[in-house]
Amino acid sequence: MPADVIPISVLTGFLGSGKTTILGHLLRQSGFSRTAVIINEFGEVGLDHELVEASEDSFIELKTGCLCCKIRSDLAQTLQDLLQRRDAGKCSPFDRIVIETSGLADPAPILQTLMTDTSIAGRFVLGGVVATVDTVTGVGTLQREDISQKQVAVADAIVLTKLDLSGPTQPALLDRLAELNAGAPVLSADRGKIDSQCLFSAGLYDPHGRSLDVNSWLAGERHSHARHDADIQAYAVVRNEPIRAVTLTLFLETLAEHCGAGLLRLKGIVNVAESPDRPAVIHGVQHVFHAPAWLKRWPSDDRSSRIVFITRRVPQRWVEALLEAIDAEVADASVAR
Amino acid sequence: MSEAPVDLTCELVVQSLAAWRVAGAVERSRDGAIIICGARKDIRIDPAPSDPMFRWMVTIDGRTRRAISVVAVLRQVREALDPGYAANRVRVALTALVPY
Repeated sequence: MPADVIPISVLTGFLGSGKTTILGHLLRQSGFSRTAVIINEFGEVGLDHELVEASEDSFIELKTGCLCCKIRSDLAQTLQDLLQRRDAGKCSPFDRIVIETSGLADPAPILQTLMTDTSIAGRFVLGGVVATVDTVTGVGTLQREDISQKQVAVADAIVLTKLDLSGPTQPALLDRLAELNAGAPVLSADRGKIDSQCLFSAGLYDPHGRSLDVNSWLAGERHSHARHDADIQAYAVVRNEPIRAVTLTLFLETLAEHCGAGLLRLKGIVNVAESPDRPAVIHGVQHVFHAPAWLKRWPSDDRSSRIVFITRRVPQRWVEALLEAIDAEVADASVAR
Repeated sequence: MSEAPVDLTCELVVQSLAAWRVAGAVERSRDGAIIICGARKDIRIDPAPSDPMFRWMVTIDGRTRRAISVVAVLRQVREALDPGYAANRVRVALTALVPY
């Protein structure tokens, strides 16, 4: 990783689900000593920052509003300022940033800000998204609160909290988590304690190994648990035949055009016909997509394209039909030419 | 145009109506056109006669427009049937997915 590119991890989860407790424990681990923290509190009086011990000059509280809807530009500005202070040696050196969102925040717009803001592009890379789930109240919260579902759905890893209060995790909770996001590993925190290496290596880029961990990132993609009546669904589209580059482009553009906010997250590895030895890794949040990253080689013997979808009211069959129709038309046009 | 793109476009239209939660039924006419009936508007989708530019013709309530691709067909159909539809434009992230 170039020295100046800093991974940003997002810690999300519903109100009272244990985000701050986990963050407090993480920051006491030696591996997290070079971490800057941004906490977004939503309310007149912020308390979370008082509960986390961190170096004051690399700790920022954003309390002007909910990060997802009011102060996205503040986030970009804060990151820019933080970087300038770091570059000028005016704060403790850090090589990672963790953003703790408010419990009511939709993480998708935050990810979009990190992906698209011109003022911070080039200096940061999106790390993992981690969602905390309270095992005592989780089932009810997920049933009642749309935003809680969304927080789980977009996560790269899920952390169960308050196991000391709930006892063995309810199967109903695990089933619901699998419906919402089968691909995300489910970890457990013991009174806030959790192995940081497991937690923040859940994204595509593993800063410790300095490598791309596609297999973990897409883990569980074949194990769809989508309920047909569910609002938010996770599923995978798998294609054994290579996909033409133009088909992939049209497919992603059309998904963005028609699904918009319904496409909570998409990630995948694609066998592009024009690049059989170097697969493309794709990632999108709603209508914002990263440019494909081209791997140097396939991470395993499996050469199939695997695209994981986390969606709200976007049926799997529609996605498959779209890809098939575009591919057939591109093939037909190629033959005609 | 061969049969496969027409068949798959027909299936896509069927699935699209379901996905958009709009009323309507999809059938194939004897001459191969895709017909959407029982919806807000009557729609007929035909493969275009040999044309280097346009592959489809979409007729909505008697007015015919040409379409360059199945993607354009889908856009026209949705604009006609889904009054709440607002298209999103894809945005490409400025940050790299992985550091180079």
